[in-house]
Amino acid sequence: MNTLFIDTHADFIFLGIYKDNQLINKVEVFEKKDHSTICMPSLVKLLSDSRLTIQEIDDVIVVIGPGSFTGVRIGVTIAKVLAYTLNIPIRTITSLELYTKKVAEGYLVLEEKNGYYVAKKEREKLSGYEYIKKSEWEEWSKTKVIEFCKEIDYNHLATYSHKKEPTMSHIVNPFYVKKIEVEK
Amino acid sequence: MNKDVRILAIETSCDETSMAVVKNGKTVEALTISTQMKTHANFGGVVPEIASRMHTESITLVLEETLNKFPGSIDDIDAIAVTYAPGLLGSLLVGVECAKTLSLVYNKPLIAVNHTMGHIYANNIEHQITYPTLALIVSGGHTDLLVLKSETDMEILGSTIDDSVGEVFDKVARVLKMSYPGGPNIEKAALKGEDTYKLPSPMQDDTYNFSFSGLKSFVINLVHNETVKGNEIRVNDLAHSFQKTAIDELTRKVELALKNTGIKNMILAGGVSANQTLREEINKVCQKYNVTFHVPNILYCTDNAAMIGCAAYPLYKSQKFADFTLNAKSNENIKSYIENNK
Repeated sequence: MNTLFIDTHADFIFLGIYKDNQLINKVEVFEKKDHSTICMPSLVKLLSDSRLTIQEIDDVIVVIGPGSFTGVRIGVTIAKVLAYTLNIPIRTITSLELYTKKVAEGYLVLEEKNGYYVAKKEREKLSGYEYIKKSEWEEWSKTKVIEFCKEIDYNHLATYSHKKEPTMSHIVNPFYVKKIEVEK
Repeated sequence: MNKDVRILAIETSCDETSMAVVKNGKTVEALTISTQMKTHANFGGVVPEIASRMHTESITLVLEETLNKFPGSIDDIDAIAVTYAPGLLGSLLVGVECAKTLSLVYNKPLIAVNHTMGHIYANNIEHQITYPTLALIVSGGHTDLLVLKSETDMEILGSTIDDSVGEVFDKVARVLKMSYPGGPNIEKAALKGEDTYKLPSPMQDDTYNFSFSGLKSFVINLVHNETVKGNEIRVNDLAHSFQKTAIDELTRKVELALKNTGIKNMILAGGVSANQTLREEINKVCQKYNVTFHVPNILYCTDNAAMIGCAAYPLYKSQKFADFTLNAKSNENIKSYIENNK
């Protein structure tokens, strides 16, 4: 079974092909701004490197954020349109879940320019996603066991994601967490 | 006999998620428009981040609805077209990435369409553009007067040097405390009012350029000053005088261009061309000069993907296809589009 994994939540793009949960090929591009110009050409390259056509992809996993709003939207749009048009299963995973492998119980923290995305890890599950502004960070973090997200080990992520139930492409949406001005 | 060409078109440049299938740049075989207007009305204008979010939410639903409406199958589609400019960057990107994905999955060429060209080609849906034609494009982002010499050759006569006419309608509506979108509400109020306010005429010159910021500032200052003095604003009258002044300016430049160029065809395009008074006034000038005048049905004046399918057709015929590095461009106006495509 060929699984396509799409991660565009940060200042890099990761696209991976897993064959029966084993990562067989990947494209990683570090690029802050131009996810749009890079993502689809990278997917085409990944498919050709893997000697696969898009029709030979059996399911999609997409990182829905939190992270760069525009970055996540690009990955999510591609993933949901792929899943819908190919009529294949789609699963979603949050950006913080990318880092859970080595983290013990406590708060997992993903830093960005003006603050931190946090979630609590209990019994292998993340919950209580929040955005903490840098100005509120000291107060918030004082009493908690925290661990910063550092490196992502993509190797196990297909196995991890496949434990989840697939969802409908129509309802796959970015997970923004952070509120925007008009929502406040 | 040439084979029919069917283009699946996508438009997400502002607050409408729309897709359409258009045959031969003219016949609309399927059209879906999902508007976010009610959501943005709560904020008094389009909130770009919310617009992008709503496009992402509805993109596959709009695709499904459009393909369901289309009597043929995906095999009957020859190309995928998408608005890449101008508009809200985050919103455009949703359409662009969707289009690339469809192009990959269905193995169809990708066509990048400038939104303003879409407004122009919307005129092919119910009539056929006869060249040469004079075109006035009026919307929230544009006020341009062009000569279309042929399907592929056009020249800008003039543009606004500051605000677009649609933008000024929306700003004036806001200062008169009308809800979003302002343009249609100004028009409604104007119908109930009379021309009792003396407003300054914009550019009193013989170029084809427009300027609306002076008129806008005058109206805003007038409302503030009268409010400060405790005087009542006759909202309907002010809407009437404002609309009349703005439309007079558009009409005057159109008349000047018709007189100087001798062109006998005229089209109107863009969101503001839904304004009935503007349509009537331009029509009067056209009658005076014996010019054939066309304007799209209101459905095709406001943002929709059918017009993008129409504008993509000449690009399809000349095999002007985009590749997957296509990016959204929020600022590419018609002037730079024409320059880039010479």
